[in-house]
Amino acid sequence: MSTQNEHTGSIVVIGVRGFRGHNLLKRLERDPKYKRVVAIDHKKPDLTLKKTKYYKLDLTEPLADDSLKEILIKEECDTLVHAAFPITPPHNEALAHEVIAIGTFYILNACAAAGVRKFIMASTTDVYGAFPSNPNYLTEDMPPRANRLSRFLADKIDAEKQALRFQKKYPDRVVSILRVCNVLGPTINSYKTRYLQRSVITTMLGFDPLIQFVHEEDVKNVMQQLVDEDHPGVFNLAGDGVLPLSRVIEICGKVNLRLTQIGFKTMAQLMWLMDLSPAPASHVDFLRYLCVVDNSKIKKQLHYKPKYTTKEALLTFVGADRLRQLNMQQLST
Amino acid sequence: MTKKKVKKKMNTPLKNVHVLDFKNRPHTKNKTRTQPPSFNNLALKLEDKINNIEKDLRESMQLLEVDVHKIIKTTKNKSEIKEDIDNLSKQLETRVNQSLTKLINTSKSRYDQDEIKLIKNLSSQLVKILSFDFYKNIFARLQKEDSETEVDEFGMDHRVINKIKPLVNFLYYKYWRVQTTGISNIPNTGRALVVSNHSGTLPYDGSMLAAAIYNEHPIRKDARFLVEDFVFHMPMLGSLMYRIGGVRACPENAERLLSKDHLVIVFPEGVKGIGKYYNQRYKLQRFGRGGFIKLCLQTKSPLIPVGIVGAEEIHPIIYKSNTLAKTIGVPYLPITPTFPLLGLLGIIPFPSRWSIHFGTPIPFDAYADETLGDDLTIHKLSENVRDKIQVILMELLKKRRSVWLG
Repeated sequence: MSTQNEHTGSIVVIGVRGFRGHNLLKRLERDPKYKRVVAIDHKKPDLTLKKTKYYKLDLTEPLADDSLKEILIKEECDTLVHAAFPITPPHNEALAHEVIAIGTFYILNACAAAGVRKFIMASTTDVYGAFPSNPNYLTEDMPPRANRLSRFLADKIDAEKQALRFQKKYPDRVVSILRVCNVLGPTINSYKTRYLQRSVITTMLGFDPLIQFVHEEDVKNVMQQLVDEDHPGVFNLAGDGVLPLSRVIEICGKVNLRLTQIGFKTMAQLMWLMDLSPAPASHVDFLRYLCVVDNSKIKKQLHYKPKYTTKEALLTFVGADRLRQLNMQQLST
Repeated sequence: MTKKKVKKKMNTPLKNVHVLDFKNRPHTKNKTRTQPPSFNNLALKLEDKINNIEKDLRESMQLLEVDVHKIIKTTKNKSEIKEDIDNLSKQLETRVNQSLTKLINTSKSRYDQDEIKLIKNLSSQLVKILSFDFYKNIFARLQKEDSETEVDEFGMDHRVINKIKPLVNFLYYKYWRVQTTGISNIPNTGRALVVSNHSGTLPYDGSMLAAAIYNEHPIRKDARFLVEDFVFHMPMLGSLMYRIGGVRACPENAERLLSKDHLVIVFPEGVKGIGKYYNQRYKLQRFGRGGFIKLCLQTKSPLIPVGIVGAEEIHPIIYKSNTLAKTIGVPYLPITPTFPLLGLLGIIPFPSRWSIHFGTPIPFDAYADETLGDDLTIHKLSENVRDKIQVILMELLKKRRSVWLG
């Protein structure tokens, strides 16, 4: 199903301040292969843009779809990359709903009207949710069930479903959804890295789920490959191998504080409300049950083998973190 | 080796260490010549240099590690070695600094003062980190014999297995005195599905069957057993099951295991089997909906019927409380002659004598692919397997003269 693009139209990246959008835009900007690149966000990206055109657009505004359509038609958009997702669960869930679910609705409306050929969406494997009834390796055709866990993830599932409905309605267009598992690496900063950077890491007594990581370089490569080639469908991206959570903390060299599950959720919610914990209590189940995905489809269809295994990705993160801390010490003395 | 000897070895110039010789590096030399120093490509150059330094350091560390490992193996006092390694890393740091200053002196004109400072800082940080890694590696390796620290893709951990092995072997050889027959029916290579009767209130029979294959079979060490769902809802037990090689029972997991040529142990009776009353002992329950037959047909793997006798008597269930069980989240709460009566002591199983027999394999590669959709044939095949296991059980029971002595 893969064909090489000539890139006659422009490549539009929506949401360039997040990790994925930012890094994809960086690559598109630096590579002379891509002639026309457009960035859309409500704030300017932290990049010096030479050939990229920047448009300011707030997805929460009414009639954002109409103004987006005009931009897409004006720029002859061929490929649209939708990365306007907050990775970190926000405190303001209503605003997150506006951005994720309604924002995707607007973008898809504009895509349908402007005749965008390819639509790429960056999602996460958290949408499967962590349940004791999960099989050890979740494949792409299993239904995402995390809407039971949190509203934030329910919104993400909603956005994915909209994209799949769009594909059904317009079968001649290409819709790819990339579900990325926990990303680690030297530069990324997300609520998961902040969790691992704390000196005392709280886990649940008696639960030790298997965890998967993917290196940020792999995420960037796959995002670029999806722009270059046509691969309709949903893809899971994860590094090979798994590690138990306790071993992850051991490798990070942090203290593993095991607390009983009774009252854990209430405590977590309290901490979240006081802004002391990186994620709300609805994400506690990821410390308890399995949410591991199968990456064989991406290997088979994209012929892409993740360059870093789970352990290697973790080690690069730990190494960079240690270097950062040493640097901090030196700056302070 | 005594402390003196170790010290002596440490203080002598290290012969095996790869000395950082920047002069004889052709590529770095060329680069400095062709590229005029400017602040624009400072970052690139720095990166290049750091990479070189890191590579050299890693090489020398590897060489060192071999030596140090030998010393550690022969000495017993670990605190002394810790001191020595500390000295060593300090030596290394000064050495790197020396070679850096040498390098800077030889090419003073080409470098800016800021650049020199940056390189110095970065390299000293690198050395610190590397020596930390070095420490950690060595002391982590001291604590465990085998270097295999990773879990496999289903979360089996050799460290945990080695820890519980004595307990399992005690149960296998001393407590239940398991007699295993027909082990030659298990193929030496390739996938196979081992189907057995399920009994005993607590799933001891799974671990005993895995232990039987592990202990008696000369080659096969990769048997994995499928465990009921409810175990993974519970704390401790769920993660322990994963570490010792259990896998949650669902078709996706079993298919993945079989496609990787594992030996998979299945109990098709499920909870109905382990939680049956004592008066129903050795009567096989319904075999689910024939999911294991579909599995065999899909993966073309042979099926080995197994009978286990003795496990029914370890926890004879007299009564089951369902309402209480629901509140705790377990499928049943058994009442045995000892369980609520003696409190926690009631969890100790009775020492019956077990026997396990592996039947002749049933091949499944002759069936056409259409059989997979034919539910009637699948049910028939499933009943066929059930009959075979029932026959094995009857034969084993006939041979047995006493529950406790065998």
